[in-house]
Amino acid sequence: MNPDARVGIVLVSHSAALAEGAAELAAQISGGTVAIVAAGGTEDGRLGTSAAKVERAVKLADAGAGVVILPDLGSAVLTVRALLGDPGDLPTPVELADAPFVEGVVAATVAAAAGGNVAAVVRAAEEARHARKL
Amino acid sequence: MPASCEQVITLAGDLHARPAGALAVAAGQFSARVSLSVGDRSADAKSVLAVMGLGATSGQHVTATAEGPDAEAAVAAIIAILAEATRVGA
Repeated sequence: MNPDARVGIVLVSHSAALAEGAAELAAQISGGTVAIVAAGGTEDGRLGTSAAKVERAVKLADAGAGVVILPDLGSAVLTVRALLGDPGDLPTPVELADAPFVEGVVAATVAAAAGGNVAAVVRAAEEARHARKL
Repeated sequence: MPASCEQVITLAGDLHARPAGALAVAAGQFSARVSLSVGDRSADAKSVLAVMGLGATSGQHVTATAEGPDAEAAVAAIIAILAEATRVGA
């Protein structure tokens, strides 16, 4: 494994625009050194989630250090869980983080940019639940 | 015994999301524990959300504190980022 490789991030949202916007924001805040791939909406552009899109995104996001996936709500979680239950030729390690979507991806991406491994990136994302804005 | 280091800076501008991100990425490179404090609030400098949650604004005094073998370098890096990123017009 390349020691300089950063953990990649995949955003799974029902909305392509939401996933892309969150990816754009996180890239700005974390300095653009981490692969953040949006997997939002269905293959035909509707609101929903697509296992095939998530699979492509995970492969695209992996730079050799693994991938952390952040889902927005409900069936996004189910889609990712189904995919990880039957991972085929997905890169490893791939972990699903239980975190608020916007804060989670910002925290995860910053942790990845700082060189954190998959466990550290998941932890940063999950700690985002306790962060106060005010 | 671990080294510790502390330095204060007066912000020339508000601590926005992007400098908070740069600061947390930089802090994360060090093994030292690094924290920022403003008034009676403090935050883990390695947590971008905690840093943003400080809500530090122009004119406030921010103290960067580090404890660990690379504490001095960590504080120097954090102070440099705070100085550069909150510069008016940055």
